[in-house]
Amino acid sequence: MACIAVGDTIPDCTLSYADEADQILNVSVHSLAAGKQVILYGVPGAFTSTCSLKQVPGFIEKEEELKSKGISEIFLISVNDLYVMKAWAKSYPENKHVKFFSDSSATYIKTIGLELDVSDRFALLIDDLEVKVAKVESGGQFKVSSAEDMLKAL
Amino acid sequence: MAASLTISRFLLPAALSFPTTTIKLSPKSLSSRLSISPLSLNLHRRPSKPISFSTKTTQISATISVGYKLPDATLSFFDSDGELQTTTISSLTAGKKAILFAVPGAFTPTCSQKHLPGFVEKSAELKAKGVDIIACVSVNDAFVMRAWKENLGINDEVLLLSDGNGEFTKKIGCELDLSDKPVGLGVRSRRYALLAENGVVKVLNLEEGGAFTFSGAEDILKVL
Repeated sequence: MACIAVGDTIPDCTLSYADEADQILNVSVHSLAAGKQVILYGVPGAFTSTCSLKQVPGFIEKEEELKSKGISEIFLISVNDLYVMKAWAKSYPENKHVKFFSDSSATYIKTIGLELDVSDRFALLIDDLEVKVAKVESGGQFKVSSAEDMLKAL
Repeated sequence: MAASLTISRFLLPAALSFPTTTIKLSPKSLSSRLSISPLSLNLHRRPSKPISFSTKTTQISATISVGYKLPDATLSFFDSDGELQTTTISSLTAGKKAILFAVPGAFTPTCSQKHLPGFVEKSAELKAKGVDIIACVSVNDAFVMRAWKENLGINDEVLLLSDGNGEFTKKIGCELDLSDKPVGLGVRSRRYALLAENGVVKVLNLEEGGAFTFSGAEDILKVL
């Protein structure tokens, strides 16, 4: 599967999440991202060490700054079921804007060609459905896909 | 299809008469009586072929029952130092009285948030009655199992073990295919609680799917 690249339009897909009442909600990526600047980042797994301890807190910490620079939405996807994603989201009580979505069968991740090994991650800056910045890391690195890197790119 | 035709000749018609092409492997239709079929196969010295019931390619292997020796499998968990460890069913159960119970998924609402805490609460009582090990098994990765354990404030009362690839779950024929549900759980484990002595199942409370009716800690306590 060709990896998504700068200039590509992101494909549409349905992602899901569980709300406070454990209702399953499905959203289409295009409906969330059309006409806006959004960041989509993908991590190998909920509660895994680097994701949980560094990458996610980084995006939460910078969420206001990212929003002030015109980012409307910040989405996090991972190949976990939506109950796990909900529990993971709850473990960050300070989070206000980052939306945790479940891509449990890795459908969307495969569609954008970014299947993740346990040590991969990515961050995409998307403007009106077009990829403007794509940072993909593998081999356990966490060098170019942090919130600071996305801020610099704006 | 050949396997199912063979079965229909040998099984008691009253026990199992259903059109094989229309049965789906869903919690409500999977009757506990189906667990009789593999034993019937064994009695007639048929090889225990997997039986295909569903229009999807879901297969059921022989389901565990009382008297069954638990097959070996590797499960994983994070220890208190944060190191990933593995253990096996044989090392957990050899020469011991062990309770294994399974949930369809960590963090799943209501049932799973009651099933595991119930065993944690009764762990001292169970251990006072001679139980050496109490372990919760789920088809989740070890990171998620660790997070769930921490979320519920569990120490060493109950081991939370990851059957991440569903290896053990498949071997004992307890898969629960939730792939057609929008919740994204895929293939998980049916809920159950069992007591094994030296690896042999003495008590088995196997639910239909993810129901929570008789697989709780109290149900096991009653029979100890």
